[in-house]
Amino acid sequence: MLKTCLLSAAIALIAGPALAATEIVVQFPYGELFTETHKQIAAAFAKKRPDIKVTFRAPYDSYEEGTQKVLREAITKQMPDITFQGLNRVRIFVDRGIAQPLDSYIKADKGIEAEGFHQAMYDIGMQNGKVYALPFAISLPIAYYNLDLVKKAGGDPNKLPANWEEVIELAKKIKALGPDVNGVTYAWDITGNWLWQAPVFAQGGSMLNADESKVAFDGPEGQYAIKTLARLVTEAKMPNLNQPDMRAAFAAGKTGIHFTSTSDLAKVTTMVDKKFELKTHLFPGVAPVKGRLPAGGNVGIILTADPKKQEAAWEVMKFWHGAEGAAIVAKTTGYMPPNKKANEVYLKDFYIENPNNYTAVKQLPILTKWYAFPGENGLKITDVIKDHLNSIVTGTRAGEPDKVLVDMTSDVQKLLPRK
Amino acid sequence: MADLALQHGGTTVVRRAHRRPHDARRAREQWTAVVLSFPALFLMFLLLIGPVATVLIISFTDYQLGAPSVGLVGLQNYQDLFSDRVFWKSLGNTLRYVAIVVPASVAFGLAVALLIESGEGLKSFYRAVFFVPVMATLIAMAISWEYMLHPQFGLINLLLKQIGLAPQSWLTDPHLVLPTLAAIGIWQLFGFNMVLFLAGLVSIPRHLYDAAALDGAQSAWSRFWLVTWPMLGPVTMFVVLISAVRSFQVFDTVHVLTKGGPNKASEVLLYTMYSEGFEFFRSGQAAAVAVVFLAFVLTLTVIKARLIEKRVHYL
Repeated sequence: MLKTCLLSAAIALIAGPALAATEIVVQFPYGELFTETHKQIAAAFAKKRPDIKVTFRAPYDSYEEGTQKVLREAITKQMPDITFQGLNRVRIFVDRGIAQPLDSYIKADKGIEAEGFHQAMYDIGMQNGKVYALPFAISLPIAYYNLDLVKKAGGDPNKLPANWEEVIELAKKIKALGPDVNGVTYAWDITGNWLWQAPVFAQGGSMLNADESKVAFDGPEGQYAIKTLARLVTEAKMPNLNQPDMRAAFAAGKTGIHFTSTSDLAKVTTMVDKKFELKTHLFPGVAPVKGRLPAGGNVGIILTADPKKQEAAWEVMKFWHGAEGAAIVAKTTGYMPPNKKANEVYLKDFYIENPNNYTAVKQLPILTKWYAFPGENGLKITDVIKDHLNSIVTGTRAGEPDKVLVDMTSDVQKLLPRK
Repeated sequence: MADLALQHGGTTVVRRAHRRPHDARRAREQWTAVVLSFPALFLMFLLLIGPVATVLIISFTDYQLGAPSVGLVGLQNYQDLFSDRVFWKSLGNTLRYVAIVVPASVAFGLAVALLIESGEGLKSFYRAVFFVPVMATLIAMAISWEYMLHPQFGLINLLLKQIGLAPQSWLTDPHLVLPTLAAIGIWQLFGFNMVLFLAGLVSIPRHLYDAAALDGAQSAWSRFWLVTWPMLGPVTMFVVLISAVRSFQVFDTVHVLTKGGPNKASEVLLYTMYSEGFEFFRSGQAAAVAVVFLAFVLTLTVIKARLIEKRVHYL
């Protein structure tokens, strides 16, 4: 028995390399959300390209951990060939010279447009004029409405709020229904200041000026955004909850309007079940023409510098981000794939059956980059902004949003690279 | 350590008796001693002094995790650190945490030790039960605490409601979060202190109590105050300092339960170091925090070493 075992092991060792396909090592975040997705795509890919073997490493726990891990592995030269990272983390990999540019592959591949790839996809992963990443699973900020509460408060379920004025009006009415009912909750603390960037970009503003030397969110757009957040607290009586508690309260039917990412949709839908009628709606207050919304989610980045491996890795990327892979993303997660062909051909029926999933697709044309601050203090700045927003949400400084914005501006300005 | 010192003392005495003819041998012995201590010294440099020196050096650079180049920036990191609100908040929180945990865990540990020692049966059972929190992994325990402290369906709030008190949001209320974490810290630490006190109690000679009784110390309090407490002096000193060092190192509960929030209300030094180094990737800044932290712990250790030497007085 032992002999045969050893023998077969020896044969495997000898035969292995001869048969071996090029191995591409892939690592991605949030196993509980994405393991099934990547597994299904890998199975479909294995049928098409048996010459490329895709293996997975244990998923990263979070975007933060994923970034740390790759930065550490870059020192010890143990990086995976392809990594999936938070959309706002592309910058740090480009600055450190770890991410590999994809432009030559995109240019050389003639049939790529027909596969549903398009310019907006490239823009999201663009840094210093080169494409370093392709968006894989996109999330956008949207509104979740409890239609039962909306109707009870006298709102019209067919004419849900289009701007913040209407949101606050409706939230006040819902709040008036009872002491244990919340009018509105806003997941302001989503990583990377995502829901701070959203209302500023929606007004047409930006985080920094064009050459990234000065804070720009202290302009009229930022003033409007921070005042709105304060009004949610002072007028609509938004409770100070963390994200899981907000979600739990909404799913329990205790909250009328909840603002968060589309990535929560699958979870929330299951939690709500048939307790009340759930409807998703467009993010409010998006200015015509200049209004944008930051894309969340994750991107694929090629890390291997070995030209032979890179070619195989590109084949993997093309399949993962192509129509077939993208369709699997939509069906197995609440995320939306940015691939045009997937949305228009493969997922047509899916969106008719799941109109709540279609809200984000409607917002696709106003997609913009999830902004990452420049320089060595980039991530520290995110934390500084979070603390200032928190002082409003806890109610401590909800009465003086203007002053908070002034302090926030000067604190962030100090941390920007001195040019 | 004591044995070694004694042996060494012994040889010196022998040497003094016939000094001159053995100079060569003495030199050889000394050389052997140096060679023999080399592995220990080497390991000490590799595992203790080396890493500390590296941290000190990094704190004077602009190194970032994964960065291809490093440059010296002098005291810039310390300047930035001392002008950062988060650092002062973090330092203040750490000191407050230590100020709550140390006295409470020492007093509690002593009280439990006295109770166990004065009781009749089940001594080892109680010892084991109170020692469990020390043995358990704090991360796993923190998760149990998270459930017990949950604002809506946590055990603690349910109990409060039962007796007619208002439920609290233990981990999200900025005024409550640090005391809550301190309570968990006390729970985790007092069992360890209890064991040290138990050892101290056992070593108090019985005849001292008999003598005190003869001299008229009848009540339990006077026995404690006249015999137990002074005899436990050195143990108490040791326990206080060890507790202080351990509570300075609070990290796991903060990382699992609050991440330093809400709004930095539970930010502590080690957590600041972690987030600077591994979330913001500002390794130089993190090293500067580490140096400040080391300075505190080193001070405590020096105090301990000085005071423990004095305990000879009691023996």
